[in-house]
Amino acid sequence: MSKPTADWERVGDRFYRKTQLYTSVFNPELELENYVVTGAPYSGAVALYRDEGKIYTYRGNQAAKSTIDIHSCAGKLIRQISWDKGRIKALGWSEDERLLVVTDDGTVRSYADLQGDFTPFSLGHGAEEHGVQACKFWTTGFVALLGNNSVIAVTRYEEPRPQLLASAPPGEVVSWTVIPPEYTSSRSVEVLLAIGKTVYVVDAAECEDRSLEAGPFRHINVSPNGKFIALYTEDSKVWVISSDFQDRFSEYESKVKTPPKDLQWCGNNAVVLAWEDELHLIGPNGAASKFYYDSFMHLLPDIDGIRVLTGDVCDFLQKVPDPTEEVFRLGSTSPASVLLDALEQLEKKSPKADDDIQLIKANLDEAVDVCVRAAGQEYSIHWQKQLLKSASFGKSVLDLYNSDDFVDMTEALRVLNAVRFYEVGIPLSYDQYIRLTPERLMQRLVNRQEYLLALKVSEYLHLPVDRIYVHWARQKVRSSSTDEESICEEIVRKLDGKRGISFEEVARAAYDEGRGKLATELLEHEPRAGKQVPLLLSVGEESIALDKAIESGDTDLVFFVLLNLKKKIPLSSFFRTINSRPVATSIVESSAIDQDRELLKDLYYQDDRRIDGSNLLVSEALSAPDMGAATDKLKMAAKLLRDSKEFAPQVAALEDAQKLTRFQEAFEKDLTERYVGLSVNETMSKLIKAGNMKRALRVQTEFKVPEKTYWWVRLRALVSRRDWRELEEMSKGRKSPIGWEPFYNEILGAGNTKIASLYIPKCTTLTVGERIEMWLKCGMLARAGEEALKAKDRNALEELRKQASGPALLDIERMITQLQKGR
Amino acid sequence: MAPTATLDASDITEKARRDLLQLLEGVRGKKNLVIEKSLAGPVGLFVKFSTLQEYGVDKVFFLENNNVDSTQRNVIFLARGEKARQVQAIAEQIKRVRRESKQDHEFSIFWVPRRTLVSDQILEETGVLGEVNVAEFQMYFVPLEKTVLSLEMDDAFSDIYLRRDPTAIFLAARALMLLQKSQGLFPRILGKGENAKSLANMLLHMRAEEDIDASSDPSNAHVHSFDLTPSATIDNLIIIDREVDFPTVLLTQLTYEGLIDETFGIQNNQTEVDSSITGAAPSQPPPQQTSGANSQAPAVQPPAPSALKRKILLDSTDKLYTQLRDANFAIVGTLLSRVARRLQSDYDSRHKANQSINELREFVNKLPSYQAEQASLKIHISLADELKKVTNGDLFLRVLEVQQNLAAGADPSTVHEIIEELIARDCSLTTVLRLLCLESCVSGGLRQRDLEHFKRQVLQGYGYQHLLTFAALEKIGLLIPRVSAGAGAYLNPLANPSGAATVTDYNLVRKSLKLFVDDVNESEPNDIAYVFSGYAPLSVRLVQCILQKPYLAQLTNPRTAPAANSQPSTATASGNWKGFEDVLARIKGPTVDEVQKGHNAAASQARKTLQGSGGGQVKTSIVFFLGGVTFAEIAALRYIDGQLGEKRRLIVATTSMIKGDTAVGAGMEGRSFKMR
Repeated sequence: MSKPTADWERVGDRFYRKTQLYTSVFNPELELENYVVTGAPYSGAVALYRDEGKIYTYRGNQAAKSTIDIHSCAGKLIRQISWDKGRIKALGWSEDERLLVVTDDGTVRSYADLQGDFTPFSLGHGAEEHGVQACKFWTTGFVALLGNNSVIAVTRYEEPRPQLLASAPPGEVVSWTVIPPEYTSSRSVEVLLAIGKTVYVVDAAECEDRSLEAGPFRHINVSPNGKFIALYTEDSKVWVISSDFQDRFSEYESKVKTPPKDLQWCGNNAVVLAWEDELHLIGPNGAASKFYYDSFMHLLPDIDGIRVLTGDVCDFLQKVPDPTEEVFRLGSTSPASVLLDALEQLEKKSPKADDDIQLIKANLDEAVDVCVRAAGQEYSIHWQKQLLKSASFGKSVLDLYNSDDFVDMTEALRVLNAVRFYEVGIPLSYDQYIRLTPERLMQRLVNRQEYLLALKVSEYLHLPVDRIYVHWARQKVRSSSTDEESICEEIVRKLDGKRGISFEEVARAAYDEGRGKLATELLEHEPRAGKQVPLLLSVGEESIALDKAIESGDTDLVFFVLLNLKKKIPLSSFFRTINSRPVATSIVESSAIDQDRELLKDLYYQDDRRIDGSNLLVSEALSAPDMGAATDKLKMAAKLLRDSKEFAPQVAALEDAQKLTRFQEAFEKDLTERYVGLSVNETMSKLIKAGNMKRALRVQTEFKVPEKTYWWVRLRALVSRRDWRELEEMSKGRKSPIGWEPFYNEILGAGNTKIASLYIPKCTTLTVGERIEMWLKCGMLARAGEEALKAKDRNALEELRKQASGPALLDIERMITQLQKGR
Repeated sequence: MAPTATLDASDITEKARRDLLQLLEGVRGKKNLVIEKSLAGPVGLFVKFSTLQEYGVDKVFFLENNNVDSTQRNVIFLARGEKARQVQAIAEQIKRVRRESKQDHEFSIFWVPRRTLVSDQILEETGVLGEVNVAEFQMYFVPLEKTVLSLEMDDAFSDIYLRRDPTAIFLAARALMLLQKSQGLFPRILGKGENAKSLANMLLHMRAEEDIDASSDPSNAHVHSFDLTPSATIDNLIIIDREVDFPTVLLTQLTYEGLIDETFGIQNNQTEVDSSITGAAPSQPPPQQTSGANSQAPAVQPPAPSALKRKILLDSTDKLYTQLRDANFAIVGTLLSRVARRLQSDYDSRHKANQSINELREFVNKLPSYQAEQASLKIHISLADELKKVTNGDLFLRVLEVQQNLAAGADPSTVHEIIEELIARDCSLTTVLRLLCLESCVSGGLRQRDLEHFKRQVLQGYGYQHLLTFAALEKIGLLIPRVSAGAGAYLNPLANPSGAATVTDYNLVRKSLKLFVDDVNESEPNDIAYVFSGYAPLSVRLVQCILQKPYLAQLTNPRTAPAANSQPSTATASGNWKGFEDVLARIKGPTVDEVQKGHNAAASQARKTLQGSGGGQVKTSIVFFLGGVTFAEIAALRYIDGQLGEKRRLIVATTSMIKGDTAVGAGMEGRSFKMR
């Protein structure tokens, strides 16, 4: 077994290692230099397409057809997408392995899940006119640079909204890059454009000149953590500066005349310069090391290192991780390194093993930890085992040790080794695995149709497996050529009884494939009513869709189906459909009240809901622009109800309403005052206030207003007009249908105690006490006293005496004595 | 995601706040915010306007005013997306701004509480979907108090009962589902009423779908599904369909808080009164806000707050108010003077001779709280004064007389004369309608002849447009003719097969649940009836049927008291309707009783064991009022909460706050035959 340090390289005071991941990657005939190559983050798939700018050997007809080829890192062809739509300007990946293809006219095609199906969208903002020059991608979005130096950002792929950023100054963009939104202080993407001698920073709001003078910069790139920027100057120097342009960290002179074809970051602390087959690795402080390859190479940067891809090999270049360095560095005396040695001694059955353990006894737990972590960083299974064995040996000596990390690491390594296998071809590093998360790794396996492996791994890690089954079923539906019945049967057999299976997704795939019948069949197995709705609509099963929507209880879905339904079928059948479904009817009614009254009218007519129809007309009358129109509407409303006896009161009311308006219009003409809009009572009140008693009386008789009501209206109107004379007239002699107390109260309320008091004697139905109170409220103590005297109420008189003063007091005292005398 | 934690209202507030600010942050730079009017209040409960400003909000507009200008490049709409009308309004405003403005705009819409298919479709049809950023602001429950959660859906009442549109019920189910996700399943769902039934069914349905949803969403894969085991802290959910108990809403609330709501109106914990009553608001923030826990100034001020109105915050940060709010108004005067005296004596204590420096310091430390209390005392004295004027008024007393008679079960015809008089006196129509509706509700509808008579009176007194009002009230079920009352099928198209009553037999229920208590004690309440000075709200009695069986049994039938007492109150662990089935059968609508068990019995058991026997746990009951709750009912429930002791907690949840005017107003026609 080769030493783990064999492929280490010292750069300054750090070590870097080049791990050979796969060999014989591509067909030797493939001329990689003629291809544009991009890799998905976290060791994802690699996309290749022939660079049209390069000449290549003519190979007959088959090569003329252009394709985008998606390979695994080990070179296995996963999918081939034939391309016939315009010139590809950029190719990029998102972190969920979505492939984005941008053409020069600003059309973007987004291929999810490594499938051949895509969703297109357009960049707009003048992309068509000026042409896309290039694009830069980050994990969840990309930025396109147009021919006129406009930059357009797309920050998400679910419902993409291309956004035009602030405009940059004209001039040739020598090189450019983006800082992803998660690393900027503004939380929105920033674009760095090297124009002329300087660099401009562009975001949504503004474009700022960083006023550098060492340009033009041939290359510019941002480190994976967004903190540093590497620049390649015209005089073949590499600068590393902070991403806010404040600090300059290191400088390196390449001494090569030809500018490199690529500059990329290797992790966060080294920069790689690449020429055709030569590679410079520049570590901190300008230290550098050189690597040479046999053939043309491509750089695929990742979060913790960089993959180097040639026709023959796929290497991973990274800084030697700290625990690994601690264990393996030549001459290392760290506890972990000693622990590894102890294991070797143990295997040799040498007593030195114990010496070693004794030596590091104090730091043994740390040594175990380091060995566990170092194991995670190893690609060689041999060394993984050695390190884990060392850890295991070490912890057997310890009294107390929490083995969780150890167990987790063994699990992780099993998974990593499985996916690194060349047929799967996902050479994840441990750090990438942690960042990617096991769930998303499963998604990637499923995308590669590694269903069995995905199932095994999911079961091993206790992850949900429903996605895997669903994906399998969708693939089955797409690719299987057997008859629909047996497909459905097979799918149902495999998926039935599994928790959380979404048959809707499978059915959707079948539908997209044009297998409508299969889709409907599969949909029947979907337990969630709501989920079935959109697909049922697409299949044209509207009324089933409506039932399912109602079953789900989600009114939004019901409404949605109804909107679609209404557009699709004639109104009469629409009404028939909703008629038997009360929820649907109320939702239609509820929205139509706000939006579409004509529809409502038709609905009421169709259902013979006369009273509702009539009320709708009344409502229209209320909104009518003028009185004439309103009256017409009222007439129609009454007509609707006329032939049925049960609505007689309603009809009468509608007719009264029209009659009232007629009256009011007449009053308006005669009296040049506004009356329309008032109620019957208000009309009478206003007439009385204006002194038109006769007219008021006519309204009363015409509308059969009850006597009591009329008295009240009259009383209040007269009081408000302070017409005491007329009031007196009113109260003369006759009996009041509402009693006299209201007269007292209302007049007192208006502040006229004198007139109010006139009514107290008329209130014969009240008790003495109440009447005394009434007198008091008018401030007439003496009269109150008389009332008490009449009733021979001694106590009340005594009470009054307490309140009285001046002449009233004398009166009261006189009455008290009178009462005493009388006895 | 801690299923063991007790339900904490401040978590909900905090989450809503965070979510909103995050959404605002997502739109870079300055922005104008266009907010739906009915959302401004709830949002104001958890975000201050100054905070919004910090997050780049420049100006705030109301959606309804349709006046957003083009001063900012970014325009954000915050609105509910359930109704087509709202969506249409937004689409039109976007189009308008785009047409009128010279610069490019970035539009964002945050739908509350969810993005709907319908909104997408309408935006697409109007051609704006492609240019707006659409996001969801998942605001469901808004805590008004620690124990009061509201969905603040102002339209809920008219949607559910008038338009029969179940959207509000569905959203309520969503909101409760969210609670279940964080707290665990409600072990038992109880309820009464047609809509309570459909809400409960939706909850069960959603739970079944939850399993599938949770696992088919790759991002939160296996987190939720495990949580759906019965909650250890929540005991049950009691759903009260407002339809079951309209009379309580229609009666005038007689608690202090209830009266403030009836008189001035309370919106989002704030009331607005004429500044001549309380004096103008101090130019600086009033002291109780700076010293109080957290002052919650309204986030969204209407562009020009009328100078004559003053907003008063009414919530538990005001200690004095906490003591007053639930008291019957009759004793508020006494309480206020007691507090005034105490304050005086506390304050006077500073004159005590030979105080030590320490005592003096202590006094000085307390000074701000004295001042706060004093300021609040001043406000409440003037409020109470104003209310007193109202309650002493002739009209108020007349109305009360009718209400008490009807509530006590007197022959309705005795009050007809008073109602007629009120109409003739041009008393406000809502008041008149409340009385008519009350009569209809407690006596199973008005006699056809009486109804026609009153209709005529009202139409003549208030205008013929109220033909529509009557139609609407009949649809809601508030004011119905008695003949058709028997055919409840009219109100409820899906005639229920369960044979549940379609009309409540009040005479029977009044007796068996003792809805009217004659010897009510307002100053030292001994029964919930104190909140209406005699009438005990049916809704709260129903809650008592579950939580206070022995008490209620004793109250309604003193002779069997010992038997009821022998059954320890803890025996009714998760509550049920047992013992009251007969009464429930006579109350309108079906009765709900569902037990929710976890999928994995072992897991639930394990969790129980982990939490100990649960003996030390505070058990929570959530009472959900579908269609709204009144302040008086909350007061009554708080009273019960006090009676239940430390081991049990009541949380009130509702679609919105409600009072009689709102209920009747839902049906009222606002327009009239004016000359245009």
